[in-house]
Amino acid sequence: MKTLRFIGLVLLAGCFAGIIHGTTNLAIVEPYLDEAIGIENQNLFSSGEEKDTPEFWVEYSSYRDWQKGGQVLAGAILGTSVGALFGIIFAFSRRSLPGNHNVKKALVLAGTMWLTIYFIPFLKYPANPPTVGDTETVVLRSILYLSFIAISGFGALGFYKLSKRLDKGKKIVAILGYAIFISIIFVAMPQNPDEVTAPMDLVNGFRAMSVIAVSIYWISLGIILGAFWQKLQPDKPLQTHTS
Amino acid sequence: MSYSEAVTVSKSSVPILAVVILAVIFGFGLFLVGYDQGHLFSIIQGAEAFDDLFIHELTHDMRHAAGFPCH
Ligand SMILES: [Zn+2]
Repeated sequence: MKTLRFIGLVLLAGCFAGIIHGTTNLAIVEPYLDEAIGIENQNLFSSGEEKDTPEFWVEYSSYRDWQKGGQVLAGAILGTSVGALFGIIFAFSRRSLPGNHNVKKALVLAGTMWLTIYFIPFLKYPANPPTVGDTETVVLRSILYLSFIAISGFGALGFYKLSKRLDKGKKIVAILGYAIFISIIFVAMPQNPDEVTAPMDLVNGFRAMSVIAVSIYWISLGIILGAFWQKLQPDKPLQTHTS
Repeated sequence: MSYSEAVTVSKSSVPILAVVILAVIFGFGLFLVGYDQGHLFSIIQGAEAFDDLFIHELTHDMRHAAGFPCH
Protein backbone atom coordinates (compact mmCIF):
# COMPACT_ATOMS: atom_id res chain seq x y z
CA MET A 1 0.00 0.00 0.00
CA LYS A 2 1.16 3.52 -0.71
CA THR A 3 1.63 4.85 2.81
CA LEU A 4 1.56 8.59 2.16
CA ARG A 5 -1.34 8.41 -0.25
CA PHE A 6 -3.28 6.31 2.27
CA ILE A 7 -2.64 8.68 5.22
CA GLY A 8 -3.28 11.76 3.10
CA LEU A 9 -6.62 10.66 1.73
CA VAL A 10 -7.84 9.45 5.11
CA LEU A 11 -6.98 12.72 6.89
CA LEU A 12 -8.37 14.87 4.11
CA ALA A 13 -11.64 12.93 3.99
CA GLY A 14 -12.01 13.20 7.78
CA CYS A 15 -11.21 16.91 7.73
CA PHE A 16 -13.79 17.65 4.99
CA ALA A 17 -16.48 15.60 6.74
CA GLY A 18 -15.62 17.39 10.01
CA ILE A 19 -15.99 20.82 8.40
CA ILE A 20 -19.41 19.73 7.11
CA HIS A 21 -20.25 18.60 10.68
CA GLY A 22 -19.13 21.90 12.22
CA THR A 23 -21.05 23.95 9.65
CA THR A 24 -24.19 21.86 10.20
CA ASN A 25 -23.85 22.44 13.95
CA LEU A 26 -23.63 26.19 13.40
CA ALA A 27 -26.88 26.06 11.45
CA ILE A 28 -29.01 23.69 13.51
CA VAL A 29 -27.43 23.11 16.96
CA GLU A 30 -26.25 26.62 17.89
CA PRO A 31 -29.78 28.05 18.40
CA TYR A 32 -30.29 25.46 21.16
CA LEU A 33 -26.91 26.21 22.72
CA ASP A 34 -27.76 29.92 22.76
CA GLU A 35 -31.06 29.20 24.43
CA ALA A 36 -29.45 26.95 27.04
CA ILE A 37 -26.71 29.46 27.80
CA GLY A 38 -29.40 32.15 28.05
CA ILE A 39 -31.03 30.13 30.84
CA GLU A 40 -27.64 29.76 32.48
CA ASN A 41 -27.14 33.51 32.42
CA GLN A 42 -30.56 34.07 33.99
CA ASN A 43 -29.59 31.63 36.75
CA LEU A 44 -26.34 33.50 37.31
CA PHE A 45 -28.24 36.80 37.62
CA SER A 46 -30.89 35.47 39.95
CA SER A 47 -28.34 33.78 42.21
CA GLY A 48 -26.32 37.02 42.32
CA GLU A 49 -23.18 35.39 40.93
CA GLU A 50 -23.17 37.82 38.01
CA LYS A 51 -24.80 41.19 37.45
CA ASP A 52 -26.91 42.02 34.41
CA THR A 53 -24.62 44.86 33.29
CA PRO A 54 -23.41 46.00 29.85
CA GLU A 55 -19.92 44.80 30.83
CA PHE A 56 -21.23 41.30 31.39
CA TRP A 57 -22.77 41.21 27.93
CA VAL A 58 -19.62 42.54 26.27
CA GLU A 59 -17.56 39.78 27.84
CA TYR A 60 -20.27 37.23 27.18
CA SER A 61 -20.58 37.99 23.49
CA SER A 62 -16.82 37.98 23.02
CA TYR A 63 -16.43 34.46 24.36
CA ARG A 64 -19.61 33.23 22.71
CA ASP A 65 -18.26 34.41 19.34
CA TRP A 66 -15.06 32.56 20.11
CA GLN A 67 -16.98 29.41 21.00
CA LYS A 68 -19.11 29.63 17.86
CA GLY A 69 -16.11 30.27 15.63
CA GLY A 70 -14.58 27.20 17.18
CA GLN A 71 -17.37 24.95 15.88
CA VAL A 72 -15.91 24.65 12.42
CA LEU A 73 -12.29 24.40 13.58
CA ALA A 74 -13.19 21.87 16.27
CA GLY A 75 -15.26 20.03 13.67
CA ALA A 76 -12.21 19.79 11.45
CA ILE A 77 -10.04 18.48 14.32
CA LEU A 78 -12.61 15.98 15.59
CA GLY A 79 -13.53 14.97 12.05
CA THR A 80 -9.91 14.33 11.14
CA SER A 81 -9.27 12.24 14.24
CA VAL A 82 -12.41 10.11 13.97
CA GLY A 83 -11.67 9.84 10.25
CA ALA A 84 -8.21 8.47 11.14
CA LEU A 85 -9.80 5.64 13.14
CA PHE A 86 -12.27 5.04 10.32
CA GLY A 87 -9.43 4.91 7.80
CA ILE A 88 -7.52 2.28 9.80
CA ILE A 89 -10.57 0.03 10.11
CA PHE A 90 -11.54 0.57 6.49
CA ALA A 91 -8.07 -0.42 5.29
CA PHE A 92 -8.20 -3.69 7.24
CA SER A 93 -11.83 -4.59 6.48
CA ARG A 94 -12.30 -3.25 2.94
CA ARG A 95 -12.02 -6.65 1.26
CA SER A 96 -14.71 -8.21 3.40
CA LEU A 97 -17.15 -5.30 3.26
CA PRO A 98 -20.13 -5.83 0.96
CA GLY A 99 -20.46 -3.92 -2.31
CA ASN A 100 -18.29 -3.59 -5.38
CA HIS A 101 -17.72 0.15 -5.14
CA ASN A 102 -15.58 1.75 -2.45
CA VAL A 103 -18.21 4.38 -1.65
CA LYS A 104 -20.70 1.60 -0.90
CA LYS A 105 -18.16 -0.30 1.20
CA ALA A 106 -17.23 2.86 3.13
CA LEU A 107 -20.89 3.68 3.74
CA VAL A 108 -21.52 0.19 5.14
CA LEU A 109 -18.60 0.60 7.54
CA ALA A 110 -19.62 4.18 8.42
CA GLY A 111 -23.13 2.96 9.22
CA THR A 112 -21.78 0.17 11.42
CA MET A 113 -19.45 2.50 13.30
CA TRP A 114 -22.18 5.15 13.63
CA LEU A 115 -24.40 2.56 15.27
CA THR A 116 -21.85 0.89 17.55
CA ILE A 117 -19.63 3.75 18.69
CA TYR A 118 -22.06 6.64 18.38
CA PHE A 119 -25.77 5.88 18.37
CA ILE A 120 -25.99 3.06 20.93
CA PRO A 121 -23.73 4.99 23.36
CA PHE A 122 -25.91 8.05 22.67
CA LEU A 123 -29.05 6.14 23.69
CA LYS A 124 -27.40 5.30 27.00
CA TYR A 125 -25.72 8.67 27.58
CA PRO A 126 -27.54 11.22 25.40
CA ALA A 127 -25.93 14.55 24.54
CA ASN A 128 -26.89 17.42 26.80
CA PRO A 129 -26.94 21.17 26.19
CA PRO A 130 -25.18 23.52 28.61
CA THR A 131 -26.88 24.00 32.03
CA VAL A 132 -27.69 20.29 32.34
CA GLY A 133 -24.32 18.93 33.40
CA ASP A 134 -23.01 19.15 36.94
CA THR A 135 -19.36 20.27 36.89
CA GLU A 136 -18.60 17.95 39.80
CA THR A 137 -19.51 14.85 37.80
CA VAL A 138 -17.83 15.66 34.49
CA VAL A 139 -14.92 13.27 35.07
CA LEU A 140 -17.23 10.42 36.04
CA ARG A 141 -19.50 11.13 33.07
CA SER A 142 -16.51 11.20 30.72
CA ILE A 143 -15.24 7.87 32.02
CA LEU A 144 -18.67 6.26 31.69
CA TYR A 145 -19.24 7.58 28.18
CA LEU A 146 -15.79 6.66 26.91
CA SER A 147 -15.92 3.20 28.53
CA PHE A 148 -19.28 2.48 26.95
CA ILE A 149 -18.00 3.51 23.52
CA ALA A 150 -14.88 1.38 23.95
CA ILE A 151 -16.83 -1.67 25.18
CA SER A 152 -19.30 -1.37 22.33
CA GLY A 153 -16.59 -0.81 19.72
CA PHE A 154 -14.35 -3.67 20.87
CA GLY A 155 -17.44 -5.86 21.33
CA ALA A 156 -18.47 -5.22 17.73
CA LEU A 157 -14.92 -5.97 16.59
CA GLY A 158 -14.86 -9.23 18.54
CA PHE A 159 -18.17 -10.42 17.11
CA TYR A 160 -17.02 -9.38 13.64
CA LYS A 161 -13.93 -11.58 14.05
CA LEU A 162 -16.19 -14.38 15.22
CA SER A 163 -18.46 -13.95 12.20
CA LYS A 164 -15.50 -14.53 9.88
CA ARG A 165 -15.10 -18.00 11.35
CA LEU A 166 -18.77 -18.87 10.90
CA ASP A 167 -20.31 -20.33 7.77
CA LYS A 168 -22.18 -17.98 5.46
CA GLY A 169 -25.65 -18.87 6.71
CA LYS A 170 -24.68 -18.53 10.37
CA LYS A 171 -23.31 -14.98 10.33
CA ILE A 172 -26.54 -13.77 11.92
CA VAL A 173 -25.37 -15.51 15.12
CA ALA A 174 -22.58 -12.94 15.47
CA ILE A 175 -25.00 -10.03 15.03
CA LEU A 176 -27.35 -11.54 17.60
CA GLY A 177 -24.40 -12.13 19.88
CA TYR A 178 -23.44 -8.47 19.70
CA ALA A 179 -27.06 -7.40 20.29
CA ILE A 180 -27.30 -9.52 23.45
CA PHE A 181 -23.85 -8.45 24.63
CA ILE A 182 -24.53 -4.73 24.23
CA SER A 183 -28.00 -5.02 25.78
CA ILE A 184 -26.46 -6.50 28.93
CA ILE A 185 -23.81 -3.77 29.05
CA PHE A 186 -26.52 -1.17 28.41
CA VAL A 187 -28.51 -2.29 31.43
CA ALA A 188 -25.49 -2.92 33.65
CA MET A 189 -23.72 0.43 33.18
CA PRO A 190 -24.66 3.13 35.71
CA GLN A 191 -26.90 6.01 34.65
CA ASN A 192 -25.74 9.55 34.04
CA PRO A 193 -25.90 10.89 37.63
CA ASP A 194 -27.04 14.40 36.64
CA GLU A 195 -30.61 15.49 36.96
CA VAL A 196 -32.01 17.35 33.96
CA THR A 197 -33.39 20.64 35.24
CA ALA A 198 -33.55 22.44 31.90
CA PRO A 199 -36.87 22.48 30.00
CA MET A 200 -37.37 19.10 28.31
CA ASP A 201 -38.40 20.74 25.01
CA LEU A 202 -35.04 22.41 24.82
CA VAL A 203 -33.14 19.26 25.77
CA ASN A 204 -35.01 17.05 23.30
CA GLY A 205 -34.71 19.57 20.47
CA PHE A 206 -31.02 19.85 21.14
CA ARG A 207 -30.57 16.06 21.18
CA ALA A 208 -32.45 15.59 17.91
CA MET A 209 -30.35 18.22 16.13
CA SER A 210 -27.16 16.82 17.61
CA VAL A 211 -27.97 13.32 16.29
CA ILE A 212 -28.83 14.70 12.83
CA ALA A 213 -25.52 16.63 12.67
CA VAL A 214 -23.38 13.68 13.81
CA SER A 215 -25.20 11.39 11.37
CA ILE A 216 -24.49 13.83 8.54
CA TYR A 217 -20.82 13.63 9.57
CA TRP A 218 -20.72 9.82 9.30
CA ILE A 219 -22.53 9.79 5.93
CA SER A 220 -20.18 12.48 4.58
CA LEU A 221 -17.17 10.59 5.88
CA GLY A 222 -18.26 7.37 4.16
CA ILE A 223 -18.97 9.07 0.84
CA ILE A 224 -15.85 11.26 0.78
CA LEU A 225 -13.39 8.60 1.96
CA GLY A 226 -14.94 5.99 -0.33
CA ALA A 227 -14.73 8.33 -3.32
CA PHE A 228 -11.10 9.25 -2.57
CA TRP A 229 -10.23 5.59 -2.17
CA GLN A 230 -11.96 4.72 -5.45
CA LYS A 231 -10.03 7.43 -7.25
CA LEU A 232 -6.60 7.01 -5.66
CA GLN A 233 -6.58 3.23 -5.00
CA PRO A 234 -3.87 3.36 -2.32
CA ASP A 235 -3.85 -0.42 -1.93
CA LYS A 236 -3.22 -1.26 -5.57
CA PRO A 237 -0.23 -3.59 -5.77
CA LEU A 238 2.97 -1.57 -5.87
CA GLN A 239 4.70 -1.50 -9.22
CA THR A 240 8.35 -2.36 -9.16
CA HIS A 241 10.57 0.39 -10.36
CA THR A 242 13.86 -0.43 -11.96
CA SER A 243 15.42 3.00 -11.66
CA MET B 1 -0.33 -20.15 -2.42
CA SER B 2 -2.36 -21.52 0.47
CA TYR B 3 -5.26 -19.66 2.01
CA SER B 4 -3.43 -18.67 5.17
CA GLU B 5 -0.56 -17.22 3.21
CA ALA B 6 -2.95 -15.09 1.19
CA VAL B 7 -4.45 -13.73 4.41
CA THR B 8 -1.02 -12.87 5.78
CA VAL B 9 -0.13 -11.01 2.60
CA SER B 10 -3.33 -8.99 2.51
CA LYS B 11 -2.97 -8.06 6.18
CA SER B 12 0.60 -6.92 5.95
CA SER B 13 -0.34 -4.72 3.02
CA VAL B 14 -1.64 -2.12 5.47
CA PRO B 15 1.56 -0.34 6.51
CA ILE B 16 2.11 -0.41 10.27
CA LEU B 17 3.66 3.05 10.19
CA ALA B 18 0.48 4.49 8.69
CA VAL B 19 -1.64 2.75 11.30
CA VAL B 20 0.52 4.13 14.12
CA ILE B 21 0.42 7.67 12.74
CA LEU B 22 -3.35 7.58 12.24
CA ALA B 23 -3.90 6.06 15.70
CA VAL B 24 -1.87 8.85 17.32
CA ILE B 25 -3.85 11.48 15.41
CA PHE B 26 -7.08 9.81 16.51
CA GLY B 27 -6.11 9.81 20.18
CA PHE B 28 -4.73 13.32 20.15
CA GLY B 29 -7.67 14.92 18.30
CA LEU B 30 -10.25 13.13 20.40
CA PHE B 31 -8.56 14.28 23.60
CA LEU B 32 -8.29 17.84 22.34
CA VAL B 33 -11.92 18.20 21.36
CA GLY B 34 -13.51 15.94 23.92
CA TYR B 35 -11.49 16.24 27.07
CA ASP B 36 -8.83 18.96 27.14
CA GLN B 37 -9.23 21.31 30.09
CA GLY B 38 -6.12 23.36 29.44
CA HIS B 39 -3.63 20.46 29.44
CA LEU B 40 -2.17 21.07 26.00
CA PHE B 41 -1.39 24.75 26.41
CA SER B 42 -0.10 24.20 29.94
CA ILE B 43 2.95 22.60 28.32
CA ILE B 44 4.03 25.97 26.97
CA GLN B 45 1.92 28.35 29.03
CA GLY B 46 2.11 26.76 32.46
CA ALA B 47 -0.63 26.51 35.05
CA GLU B 48 -2.35 29.64 33.72
CA ALA B 49 -3.68 27.57 30.85
CA PHE B 50 -6.01 25.72 33.18
CA ASP B 51 -7.74 29.02 33.97
CA ASP B 52 -7.78 30.35 30.43
CA LEU B 53 -9.25 27.13 29.04
CA PHE B 54 -8.29 28.31 25.56
CA ILE B 55 -8.88 24.97 23.86
CA HIS B 56 -11.88 24.17 25.99
CA GLU B 57 -13.72 27.32 24.95
CA LEU B 58 -12.76 26.86 21.31
CA THR B 59 -13.97 23.29 21.16
CA HIS B 60 -16.73 23.81 23.70
CA ASP B 61 -19.73 24.00 21.40
CA MET B 62 -18.59 21.01 19.37
CA ARG B 63 -18.10 19.10 22.61
CA HIS B 64 -21.77 19.55 23.48
CA ALA B 65 -22.99 19.07 19.91
CA ALA B 66 -21.04 15.84 19.39
CA GLY B 67 -22.31 14.36 22.64
CA PHE B 68 -19.25 14.57 24.88
CA PRO B 69 -19.97 15.16 28.56
CA CYS B 70 -19.46 18.81 29.52
CA HIS B 71 -21.19 21.26 31.78
ZN1 LIG C 1 -20.17 22.94 28.35
